[in-house]
Amino acid sequence: MNQNEIIKWLRKNLFDTWYNSILTIVCVFLLVWGAKSIFTWILFIAQWKVIAVNLQLFLVGRYPEQMYWRLWVSIFIILGLTSVTIGSLVKKIPNRWLPLAWAISFSVILWLIGGGLGLQAADSNLWNGLLLTLVMAVTSIVISFPLGVLLALGRQSKLFVVRNFCILYIEIVRGLPLIGILFIAQVMLPLVLPDDITLDRVLRGIAGLTLFSAAYLAENVRGGLQSIPRGQFEAGKAIGLNSIYIMLLIILPQALRAVIPALVGQFIGLFKDTSLLSIVGLLELTGISRSILAQPEFLNRYAEVYLFVGLLYWVFCYSMSLVSQRLEKV
Amino acid sequence: MSMQDVVIVAENVQKWYGKFQVLRGVSLTVHRGEVVVIMGPSGSGKSTFIRTFNALEEYQQGRIEIDGIVLSDDLRNIDAVRREVGMVFQQFNLFPHLTVLDNITLAPIWVRKWSKAKANEVAMQLLERVGILEQAQKYPGQLSGGQQQRVAIARALAMQPKVMLFDEPTSALDPEMVREVLETMKKLAADGMTMVVVTHEVGFAREVADRVIFMDTGVIVEEATPTNFFQNPTQERTRKFLSQIL
Repeated sequence: MNQNEIIKWLRKNLFDTWYNSILTIVCVFLLVWGAKSIFTWILFIAQWKVIAVNLQLFLVGRYPEQMYWRLWVSIFIILGLTSVTIGSLVKKIPNRWLPLAWAISFSVILWLIGGGLGLQAADSNLWNGLLLTLVMAVTSIVISFPLGVLLALGRQSKLFVVRNFCILYIEIVRGLPLIGILFIAQVMLPLVLPDDITLDRVLRGIAGLTLFSAAYLAENVRGGLQSIPRGQFEAGKAIGLNSIYIMLLIILPQALRAVIPALVGQFIGLFKDTSLLSIVGLLELTGISRSILAQPEFLNRYAEVYLFVGLLYWVFCYSMSLVSQRLEKV
Repeated sequence: MSMQDVVIVAENVQKWYGKFQVLRGVSLTVHRGEVVVIMGPSGSGKSTFIRTFNALEEYQQGRIEIDGIVLSDDLRNIDAVRREVGMVFQQFNLFPHLTVLDNITLAPIWVRKWSKAKANEVAMQLLERVGILEQAQKYPGQLSGGQQQRVAIARALAMQPKVMLFDEPTSALDPEMVREVLETMKKLAADGMTMVVVTHEVGFAREVADRVIFMDTGVIVEEATPTNFFQNPTQERTRKFLSQIL
């Protein structure tokens, strides 16, 4: 673009009438002023030492340093699988081993983080910060997804007991606030369970998130199921498929694809909802931030800490959003 | 004809939707290799009737026997019958998330337990037979209505059924696509397939049908060869219907 064209473009789009010219000037002024104050704060006023000093706490909390290699291996596995997955999505060559690979590495990573079976155990009280947030969010998503699908199918079942149990469950959970469910899971679950079974606090947190998320997922999936025309069921029956095959091969693939945006929206919500666990005393990303803010030398660094934590949440939520856009196109 | 030549026996089939009786005692016997066309005004119960043959509709009284298997509440019998009966729907009902080829091989692979290679081979032969071999890798949404209906015919044939049911197969098609589907059905009839066809296509009935059945208000009003049916209908209601469509 030469100078003339730039001037023409400006005239046409920003200065075509006197009131648009005023609007343009005011907006430019506001933008410059806003950007200037933000950058001045970030570069000269904010004291980022609180982040730099506590970076390990933010990311992995009190996870034992001699076990960091296990986290590196996990990250390596995830990055490797992600690149293979993206490759197969871009080239549109479906790889039937990928889901299995993801399922196996999910359990391998949990094993690496937690130890046991020959590895030295890492107590879950020591998994804090982003690590705990990720473990709880991913595990709850992975468990609540099939649970939600089953609840959605159960709600449409012809069996009286199954149908009404599912409706009862969904409606009760949807009528309770998440924080209440998290308290129930922390405080009441140990009372209900037999004495010889003790769930640690992380597991109780995951249980609360999972039970909550499954009910909402079920309603989203039900919406997808109802969008499938009756003719699809009839065609499946007519070619001799039994009802399990009809569900798995014909209805669910279409129904789930139809509700991908809603499902991912819910997973993003679930990811952020893990922050509520800080209220019941878990030191995930938000919880650990609160304890860092209690350090005497960093008493008033709210803005720095919450900006940083917010950025971390945003990075992961936005990645999920990108994945969803990709999935919709497959 | 001996009993082995009988593919469909329906005796006094009755069905109610609540208090409304859709089928008021319909009986029909179809022999192997026979093409039976069912005509009638909308609401006459003709679609409901053929949908009882593969248990897409339940019936409350009467008896239906398909290729020696009695259709009862027994799920095993229903599955067995559905394997032997192919059906083509007015709205095609192809699976939009699967390619044409996968639409056709789905049932052979999961129900007949064929290998993928065998299922693909048979599917390609069928696609050639219905004249759309080059569309195998496309998705249903990328095909015209006529092509989709021919895929639906191939999908039904892939299970190697003993009898094919057609539920108004050309009613949802644009006029210029009707012919290609009817041609495919004519070829099928010429190859000896047993067919029960609900349709308004008079030309097809005249040319291909062995018998034409006229249904109204849930009963069979008239049953005749095509020539007699169209030229010398015996019932007043048939004459009235024919005067409207001819």
